[in-house]
Amino acid sequence: MLDGKLHLSTPEGVSLVFTPAGPARRGYAWLIDWLLRALIGLVLYIPLLVTLGRAGMGLGLVAFFLLQWAYGVLFEVLGDGRTPGKRMLGLQVLREDGLPVGWRESVLRNVLRAIDFMPLCYGIGLGAMLLDARFRRIGDLVAGTIVVYREQPTPLPKALDVAPVALPFPLTPDEQRTLVDLVERVHAVPPQRQLELGDLAQPLTGLRGQASLDRLYGYVAGLTGKDAA
Amino acid sequence: MKQRQFEARHAALWDDIAQDLKSKLPSLDLPARYRALCHTLAVARQRGYSPSLVARLDSLAIAAHRRLYRSSANQEMVFVRWLRLDFPLLVRAEWRVVLLALLAFLLPLLLCVGLINWRPELAYTVIDPGQLAEYESMYRMAAQRLGRKGPEDDVLMFGVYVWNNISIDLRTFAGGLVAGLGALVSTAYNGMHMGVIGTWLTREPATREAFLSFVVTHSSFEVVGLLLACAAGLKLGGALLLPGRLTRMAALRQAGQRILPMLGGAVLLTLLAAFVEAFWSARTDVPALVKYIVGGLTWLALIAYFCLMGRRRAA
Repeated sequence: MLDGKLHLSTPEGVSLVFTPAGPARRGYAWLIDWLLRALIGLVLYIPLLVTLGRAGMGLGLVAFFLLQWAYGVLFEVLGDGRTPGKRMLGLQVLREDGLPVGWRESVLRNVLRAIDFMPLCYGIGLGAMLLDARFRRIGDLVAGTIVVYREQPTPLPKALDVAPVALPFPLTPDEQRTLVDLVERVHAVPPQRQLELGDLAQPLTGLRGQASLDRLYGYVAGLTGKDAA
Repeated sequence: MKQRQFEARHAALWDDIAQDLKSKLPSLDLPARYRALCHTLAVARQRGYSPSLVARLDSLAIAAHRRLYRSSANQEMVFVRWLRLDFPLLVRAEWRVVLLALLAFLLPLLLCVGLINWRPELAYTVIDPGQLAEYESMYRMAAQRLGRKGPEDDVLMFGVYVWNNISIDLRTFAGGLVAGLGALVSTAYNGMHMGVIGTWLTREPATREAFLSFVVTHSSFEVVGLLLACAAGLKLGGALLLPGRLTRMAALRQAGQRILPMLGGAVLLTLLAAFVEAFWSARTDVPALVKYIVGGLTWLALIAYFCLMGRRRAA
């Protein structure tokens, strides 16, 4: 496959499909996390410093330590593999077998960030990502994790409310599936484009424009059957 | 069977699974329902039902798969078990890298001790003279208060130690990935630093007692923590250099998974050292003799812990 997707199959015959996320998007997610960490650090540090003086400075340093090393681990393990930055950009850390990350994997990949960060702002990490087919940095390689796009929940297609029409000639299962897919998603394109698609279906429907489109709806209603409501 | 009939027939099953996935405690039927779901997914695929239905079932199956196969929650007493058995056993099993880390620390330390006793001015080649003078004046005034003004400063120093020392541990570990060199250099540098400053301050009676009584207690946790972090890093580097019968990648992964608890122990020890260093070591109301006794006992306890703990079960 050339679509950059990663296919895994489970013993139950379910195939899991992931799209690994590339360096640019992960870089943006890291930047958001970095800004957020800096903000949290300041918001914690200044009141501590004002109220507690030098003791507050000490507690602030502990907070900085946690923000630097524990931030990623806590969010990844407790937040379904997503730090706030990854959440905003629709990314997720997973184990390579598609399961959620555990403490071990997350700690490893976040501690080894120190190597990936060298020599200048993720130089080694970027190199490793560009060499690896799944965009894994060194920490990901050792921990056995991947960063993928989180799959969006698919919206339910609108129910068809038209009378079923029989197909003029039999279609192969593949063609039937394409037809159903077209009708379920045709609302996503502008009306003019929908009419063009209707024109393209002329060999099947013998009609043009909206009439052809309506005929396609009828075929699909025939293929999928009545709603059982 | 038409798609809508199929959907109507199995809608209840799919809804139940969606409910299960939302709740914190899924019902005991989830495995059976998951198998039924996989069956419906396969049927839907094979019959060429609409791609949107297949995609919906697919994401439901993935979510159920993750819920069922994620690492088991049955981990009671895992910390106590780690403390009593796993951690000391792991350190003993990996004695080679621990020994190597010890050598990387001790050799530069002893070398510096010898060199500076021979020619004290050599200390200036390692550490900036101004910094050395600062250390000296800090311990010279130690009779009153060790460079600190009150309990507030104890908390401040605690923060500094946590921030600085644990970060050093973690970086030392990560540096091990560079064929072990990063970990070795970091450990050797720390050994050298300690050798120079230690010798410098113990040469003069004015600072000797203050310095020794200050470091004796927390140095046990701190040094052992650093050594274990280094050893864990060396294990990573070792997997890269000598992967044995595995590919380098597989060896690295195996080593990473295996050695991580040692890094956890190193961090914990260093945290303990930060506590002791901040709230006990600098106390001036405790006589030096008491500090020596306590420090000696901690050293003994730590060595005994790593040598003896968990032996009976292991045999």
